[in-house]
Amino acid sequence: MFTDEALDSVSVRSLWRKSQQSEQESRDCQTRAVHSAEAGIQTVFTTLSCTQTEPQDQATEQLLQQNHNEPEPLGLKDFLQRVEEAVIRELVRNARSHAFDGFQVNWGDRSQLVSCLHCLQHPITQERGLHVTSVSWSCTGSVIACAYGRIDDGNWSTERSYVCMWNLDRRGLSPSQADLVIDVPTAVTALCYHPSQPALIAGGLYSGEVVVWDTSRTQDPVLALTGMSADSHREPVYQVAWVPLQKKGEFGVLSASSGGRVLVWTVDSDQGRFILNAAYALVQQQVSHSSSVSFKARGSSTVGVTSLALSPWDSDTFLVGSEGGLLLRCSFSSKVPAATPSDGQSVTLRAPAVFSFRPHSGPIHSIHCSPFHRNLFVSAGTDGLAHLHSLLQANPLLSLRVSDSYVFQVQWSPTRPLVFAAATGQGEVQIFDLGHRSLRPAATIEQRGAGQAASCLSFNCQNPHLLAVGNTDGTVGVWQLSADLTEQSPRESSQLEQIANQVAE
Amino acid sequence: MAEVEETLKRIQSQKGVQGIIIVNSEGIPIKTTLDNSSTVQYAGLIHQLVMKARSTVRDIDPQNDLTFLRVRSKKNEIMIAPGESKKSNSLSGF
Repeated sequence: MFTDEALDSVSVRSLWRKSQQSEQESRDCQTRAVHSAEAGIQTVFTTLSCTQTEPQDQATEQLLQQNHNEPEPLGLKDFLQRVEEAVIRELVRNARSHAFDGFQVNWGDRSQLVSCLHCLQHPITQERGLHVTSVSWSCTGSVIACAYGRIDDGNWSTERSYVCMWNLDRRGLSPSQADLVIDVPTAVTALCYHPSQPALIAGGLYSGEVVVWDTSRTQDPVLALTGMSADSHREPVYQVAWVPLQKKGEFGVLSASSGGRVLVWTVDSDQGRFILNAAYALVQQQVSHSSSVSFKARGSSTVGVTSLALSPWDSDTFLVGSEGGLLLRCSFSSKVPAATPSDGQSVTLRAPAVFSFRPHSGPIHSIHCSPFHRNLFVSAGTDGLAHLHSLLQANPLLSLRVSDSYVFQVQWSPTRPLVFAAATGQGEVQIFDLGHRSLRPAATIEQRGAGQAASCLSFNCQNPHLLAVGNTDGTVGVWQLSADLTEQSPRESSQLEQIANQVAE
Repeated sequence: MAEVEETLKRIQSQKGVQGIIIVNSEGIPIKTTLDNSSTVQYAGLIHQLVMKARSTVRDIDPQNDLTFLRVRSKKNEIMIAPGESKKSNSLSGF
């Protein structure tokens, strides 16, 4: 009854759906074959040559030449005739005018206070209780280098020591950790940055060696080392300085030690050593004494140098202060041979002393020549006084009582001709202004912590507001000075001139 | 010729004069008692200042003209006597 049925399927065509396949075409292409060829050559001989320009001063434009044979530019004579009267009248009136006396204008903000910006210290030196023996600012004014050692040690010590550097302009300045630390085998007693290359720094060691470090080298910063040769010092080097040599732009290192020798070295950076350029020895007999001094020293006849100053005005003069209080003016070009037997030196020793000033009663720790007057310099030592001398007279012009204990360093301010600062053994830094009538200091920087001495200080020549002070507790304070200690007032140069022209009684 | 030198000498001998520079209308120094580099520096800088000062005066009153300009600073003073617009200016330092 039921049967299977098979029906055809029905399909309905779609009205809207079409094939999605679009048109397609294919093509081929190929570049032509690339031609290549090969040939070999070889140089038969080579030559090498280099050129270099000398560093030159800024080129100046040519003026219209003043040729005396040429006729004057037209109208010059008439113009001058017309103008001369008016100009002379104004000049005369100016010379007599009091209109601007005491009138001062200030464009910037003035800070009234002396304040401590940073107190820098390094952990290892704090642990070992090292003292700061010397501070130096780099020529750019942003890096300060501090040398550590001991100032109270009389004996040979083989303690390792450090030189630490901080870059104050860096944002991540950490006052309790130095940016760069250089290990040194013995205590460092003197430090000086190169005047134009910001990475070179010269140091004098307790063992008598002189080192130049190059802080741009990552591995071994030692650029040159004197080592213990016949030429080098045998006693601690108390002062190093960079002196300009004959060739313009080159600097040599000058080192002075308590063995009585002052040596000038040139740096041979390829071989890492120093070459002795000139040597001076100070011997008691050859130092010209002024008539008021007539002691005869027994024992060693060398004059131990504890401080040295170069004159920025006269490249031939330098000043030397000794352990016995002698203050001498010396000359680089002296030809007199020294009276000590030379012990294997490569350069003959010369006696440089030309003039001797009235001696101090104690070792002279520091001398500094004024950057504003060619004849003035200030010196200080263990007698607690700062003496202002003129190069022309044996007696000091002025003696100021700085403190009751030793004075370790004095330095003139780089911006105010009448101001100088002195670091004392009581931990204070006294800043004196010679324009004030009284003999008391214009400002006193007191450091916290009793019983520690301020052993060194340095003004920053690029940022004249900054003064760095190193202490015997291993810290370095960077102080900002108030505006009246750094801004020059109109009559200062003439006041300085007056002081310099006084005749000491 | 000698009169020019005489005049300059008279001005130079006044109290406090550090130097004299005479500049032409284009700002090029033609006579000077200072060293080369300072002269060129002063001439370039002062010329612009004088032009500005003169135009200021004449803008305020066209019948008026600049007779003398003095620039006083902390350390010294520059005194400028301008010439006619086609001629020279003179500067002297105090």
